[in-house]
Amino acid sequence: MRTSNRRGLFKTAEEDRNNREGLKGWLNPSRYGWERVSYWLQRLTGLFLLIYFIGHIYETSSLTGGAGAWNAMLQFTETPWGHLFLILVIGTSTYHSTNGIRLIFTEAGRGLGRPGRPDYPYDALSLNYRQKSGIWIALILAAVAMFYGGNVLFGGD
Amino acid sequence: MLRERQIMRIHYITGLAALFVVAVHILMRLIMPFHMSLQYSNVIANYHNMPYVILLESILVLLAIHGFNGLRIILLELRQNRKWENGVTISTIAAMIAIIAFGTRTIIIASGLGVV
Repeated sequence: MRTSNRRGLFKTAEEDRNNREGLKGWLNPSRYGWERVSYWLQRLTGLFLLIYFIGHIYETSSLTGGAGAWNAMLQFTETPWGHLFLILVIGTSTYHSTNGIRLIFTEAGRGLGRPGRPDYPYDALSLNYRQKSGIWIALILAAVAMFYGGNVLFGGD
Repeated sequence: MLRERQIMRIHYITGLAALFVVAVHILMRLIMPFHMSLQYSNVIANYHNMPYVILLESILVLLAIHGFNGLRIILLELRQNRKWENGVTISTIAAMIAIIAFGTRTIIIASGLGVV
């Protein structure tokens, strides 16, 4: 087992591979610009949608209890707060999907630009306007989808 | 054992496929006024439509794979050692199977497929 006093060198011992900042480091979006915010939002929206997915399956299982059980569940969810929650689901799912498509393109090397010599102030060429506009498109589409969802849910019968 | 590269490919494919089937699922709610589409008789009628049942089952499987693999990725980013990684992988696969089983049970009962 090779180890070294210098940080980052030869750290193969399993106890040395733990992420030192843990959840705090993961939740800190302040240090790396918009790409970090996008990374953070992708994970938070993903977790939120997974919780919603599990809740939706539980909610739908009331169908097996007959019309009474289904209507009781609807009374619980078909409220203004339930609708606001659904609007949040619409926004997060739109952002997660659009940003996810951007990430698929990025992983395939699309939109990263050409490699170049690192000159001062050493801005990463890969973090270019295409990547940034992708993040903004995801945020704008999420806002539009939330507006449309709000119109359907609160826009009368 | 699948390599991480293959798992990421599965993650992306399930994500894109889920996007398509969930869009159809939402459109089914919008072909009539939203509150009417949630009436018990309408929902049960949907569940007796075999192509829609297949669509629901595919949403269930695709989102369970995508969602729990996403959770696995997040948890592996937080901490790395063999015990944690194996524990996270086994737990997320178990949760994924449990959710698919529970959702499939609802689909079978509501669609009347379980009635002999």
